[in-house]
Amino acid sequence: MHTAGREALVQVRDLRTRLGDKIIFDGLSLDVPRGSVTAIMGPSGTGKTTLLRHLTGQLRADAGSVLVDGLDVAGLRRNALFGLRERIGFLFQNSALLTDFSVFENVAFPLRQHARLPETLVRTIVLTKLQAVGLRGAARLMPSELSGGMARRVALARAIVFDPMLILYDEPFVGLDPIALNQVLRLIRTLNHTLGITSILVAHELSAIRQVADRVYLIANGKLVAQGAPDQLEHQDSPWTRQFFGGEADGPVPFHYPAPDYATDLGFAP
Amino acid sequence: MNAIVRRNWLLNGIAQVGECGLFFIAILAALPKSLRYFRETCRQLWFVGAMSLIIVMTCGLFVGMVLALQLYYTLSIFGGTAALGTVVALSLFRELGPVVTALLFAGRAGTAVTAEIGLMRATDQLDAMEMMAVDPMAYIVAPRYLAGVIAMPLLMCLFNALGILGAHAVGVSWLGVDNGTFWGNMTSTVDLWRDIIDGVWKSLAFGGVVTLIAVFQGYNAPPTSEGVAYSTTRTVVFSSIVILALDFVMTAFLT
Repeated sequence: MHTAGREALVQVRDLRTRLGDKIIFDGLSLDVPRGSVTAIMGPSGTGKTTLLRHLTGQLRADAGSVLVDGLDVAGLRRNALFGLRERIGFLFQNSALLTDFSVFENVAFPLRQHARLPETLVRTIVLTKLQAVGLRGAARLMPSELSGGMARRVALARAIVFDPMLILYDEPFVGLDPIALNQVLRLIRTLNHTLGITSILVAHELSAIRQVADRVYLIANGKLVAQGAPDQLEHQDSPWTRQFFGGEADGPVPFHYPAPDYATDLGFAP
Repeated sequence: MNAIVRRNWLLNGIAQVGECGLFFIAILAALPKSLRYFRETCRQLWFVGAMSLIIVMTCGLFVGMVLALQLYYTLSIFGGTAALGTVVALSLFRELGPVVTALLFAGRAGTAVTAEIGLMRATDQLDAMEMMAVDPMAYIVAPRYLAGVIAMPLLMCLFNALGILGAHAVGVSWLGVDNGTFWGNMTSTVDLWRDIIDGVWKSLAFGGVVTLIAVFQGYNAPPTSEGVAYSTTRTVVFSSIVILALDFVMTAFLT
């Protein structure tokens, strides 16, 4: 059996990854305690989504280890990996609902695939989950009829249909209006408090993160550059946190993409 | 410089064929698991098979009609119009049925499959399935492949049947070939194993490659609107080339 205990649910140790020529992670280590809401922040392109893919085993790292609930994700065979994935919910940035199926069938999909349940029980579970995200009334709609915020809530209902131990949110607030954003925010908090689900969210919205996250990891250049509670981090005196939380255009994350000398490029150089 | 580009182009082409072969093995490996999704296979059979009926049957009718017209003209030069039924049936069963059905199938069903899977890739639906511990090879790809291989020979049979009816309408009702001669000569000359079953083999092979190209192009489509469009085009282009080339090879071996 897995060694479930009080140790951190997710343990990343000295992770090294390169995609093509680009080094994504260069010795990244972090822990996500059980029952916490952890936010992963960092400039665009630092591999926050890549990190989530490492946690689910969709992508293998070049070196280092990722332990989820005591299991070494990279070492799992396909069946064991699928077993682990059944206990992880994943909320895609663009919701990724199956367009052929109605809202109800989308939420029922994992149940129908992995559990042989009587139809009445499937119906009860699906309606409960839809009620939790406030969309029981939309059960008959097709994904194309939903707004972005509704689609994301349906995706969330689908992600929690198996009562997972861990939910990964990939940019859950992007493109939502303030109302929808607050609805999703409230759901993340409720799920965490009432069901004790550990949550990891990749996001940029500082005000939202301040409200929901217990802990923030700031990743840049493939390494962890700062960590702590949101308020703590905002007052930390490091060039990274100053730039990131102050929203400065230039700093350790340069405004200019690496380029040859400007004058030479324009042809003015001697 | 030019030589390098040309070599890369050639190498990429060969690499693609290799990847396609590996993909085929992956489909075969996923087939046992896909039997669980029998309903999905039936649904796909309806999509690629039943939905292609109208185009295949209409085209079959017209191909048969035009065949009868052309062959009547050619045969009348030699005074052999009595052989019209035989010649029409042999051309349809041995050659035109499998090939034209496969070309129509690539355009009607192959493109639909490529675009559908490509868009699923672009909208993360395939990744979402992986995350829900459902293997997209078993749930999405294998049922479509199976449906394509099953549907193709059936469609070809209907194409041939409608073709012969069309030829009969033109030859007998319009040009005045004797009804008894038309059917009698046909049934006495056409051999079930040598002619009809050979066509079925061809059709099965075409179904296999056309659907393989369609699912492969869809599954590996770049996740952009341009990428999906390009992959859909490639499905038609590659399918057409492979159908005609394979047809030559198979005809050479089967006869």
